[in-house]
Amino acid sequence: MGKISLRKAGKQYGTVEIIRDLDLEIADGEFVVIVGPSGCGKSTLLRMIAGLEATTAGQIVIDGRDVTEALPVERKLAMVFQSYALYPHMTVRQNMGFGLKLAKLSSGAIKTKVDAAADTLKLTPLLDRYPKELSGGQRQRVAIGRAIVREPVGFLFDEPLSNLDAALRVDMRLEIAKLHRTLGTTMIYVTHDQVEAMTLADRIVVLKDGRVMQQGTPYELYEKPANLFVAQFIGSPKMNILACKRNGDGQLDLSGQGFLEMPLRSDAVPVQLGARPEHLSLVAPENGHCRGTVEAREYLGGTTSVFVRNPELGLINVSAPAETGFGIGETVGIHIDNVRLSLFDAAGAAVISSR
Amino acid sequence: MINALRWLVFAIAAFAMNFPILVTLVTSFKSTRELSTNPGLWVQAPTLDNYLAVFQVSDRLNIFLYLFNSITVAFIGTTLAVVLALPAAYAIARGRLGERTLLPFIVNLRAVPLIIFAIPLYMMFQWLALLDTRLGLGLILSIVNLPLALVILVNAIRDLPGELDEAALMDGASRTQILLRVIAPVCRPAIVTSLIFGFITAWNEFLFGLMLTTSKAVPITVGASFFFAASGGGVQWGVASAVMVVGALPPVLLGLIMYRQISGSMTAGAVKG
Repeated sequence: MGKISLRKAGKQYGTVEIIRDLDLEIADGEFVVIVGPSGCGKSTLLRMIAGLEATTAGQIVIDGRDVTEALPVERKLAMVFQSYALYPHMTVRQNMGFGLKLAKLSSGAIKTKVDAAADTLKLTPLLDRYPKELSGGQRQRVAIGRAIVREPVGFLFDEPLSNLDAALRVDMRLEIAKLHRTLGTTMIYVTHDQVEAMTLADRIVVLKDGRVMQQGTPYELYEKPANLFVAQFIGSPKMNILACKRNGDGQLDLSGQGFLEMPLRSDAVPVQLGARPEHLSLVAPENGHCRGTVEAREYLGGTTSVFVRNPELGLINVSAPAETGFGIGETVGIHIDNVRLSLFDAAGAAVISSR
Repeated sequence: MINALRWLVFAIAAFAMNFPILVTLVTSFKSTRELSTNPGLWVQAPTLDNYLAVFQVSDRLNIFLYLFNSITVAFIGTTLAVVLALPAAYAIARGRLGERTLLPFIVNLRAVPLIIFAIPLYMMFQWLALLDTRLGLGLILSIVNLPLALVILVNAIRDLPGELDEAALMDGASRTQILLRVIAPVCRPAIVTSLIFGFITAWNEFLFGLMLTTSKAVPITVGASFFFAASGGGVQWGVASAVMVVGALPPVLLGLIMYRQISGSMTAGAVKG
């Protein structure tokens, strides 16, 4: 079992509030990724769950047991640190078995468990090496192995891949996903890398200033962001945000630069329109919803990002086919897919259209 | 050419700095007669007479006792200082306990002339019956060594990533277990450094040895001075030199043997890199 609940949890350092009234229910076996910009409190939240950081308000409950005041070890969670935090004076085997040894398991039992975990993580040939003799990826695997042997009810990952190079990161990401499928244990994963969040998560929790901005499946967050912050935070390249207003004919007025048909609920007052680069396309100037001048192009292999400058709407990023013919300085039209765009009111909250 | 010059400068510097040691070493092999005729840096007729005289045990002089006393008090003064400093350093570095006032205060003790402590200590030791005991002198030396050991260990522990402690906490280690099974082994170079510096300081200590001991617990530094005029009359330079060489050997050997321990970083591979 590994059901983790946070009830009105809070963390305060002196007068500074890092986490406020946070409610979060994590089901057994779920893979939850917590994302957010630097300083949003995501690592603090993870450390509160781990018990490394005192919770100053609310409750943390694991499998029905209130562990708010419990020691880290009593929570039966394992943590993988960003810096790996391997014990440098111990071999891989000793590193992985340290927790079991402290729990006073027999050396035979420790050996069996360590060997099994090493086998899962392909660490068997490295068991007698010291951390300094391992590569970054191997060290990370040992850190994960140290977590696995304890058979915890949940794993906590604190930006575990951020010290690895890009290629290795992809491999380790796949390995962690596979591990989750094999073990079926609850995993809470903190990252600022939204690719990791999108690919690994059953559910993503977006945090800002210690508050949950939105939680949902990667699909929900990408397609139906609840607010402007999530809209801009999730997705790379970022969503374009264009100023707009509703006019009497039920159309959206793009700051006088064009019009867009958009059936809206009568009380909805959108002021900003969010459109992802791939939901925009370049057309002849007279055919678009708005127009502008191509200011820059970034060839990305599969596609080309074309940056179009509109005097009122600003710089708009359009994802065009890689071989797009529109060149710098050219005037182009932008077609907006009105089915997949998002609308936001003055407070930044999503406005639901009548579709 | 430049290399040769470099070696020349190095040789001159080494010679100049070690001149007193060389003179002492050479003098210790000269006979009393030669000493009065040959003040030079060479020995015409090397003799071990001075050393034989030093190792001769009499009612008044016992070099073996002095050496044993020094080893014992240095051992107590060094290990006790490190044993006390390690948990204190951990609390200061990790818990930030006493970092602001206590640490500077203790470190400043090292700057105070030791003679200031002499009179109160003498009276205290008299009351505790610690005068002229190895334990008494060892206790004082541990206090003398404590500040430096504390500074070395605080800095070493501060350099260790806090995640190491947290990983151990997650593994179920208590604070004591973290200190003894994670921090202490990883800090081994710093601990060895404190031990070596402490041992050398304790071995060379003279003031408290002179003040607090009279016969049973006399350390080699004080005992060596007894040899200077052992046979009455003037100073016996040959014997004095020999006893100084004998007294200086243990810390020199220790330094050479333990040097390897100080170098070499234990933390390599702990965190990213």
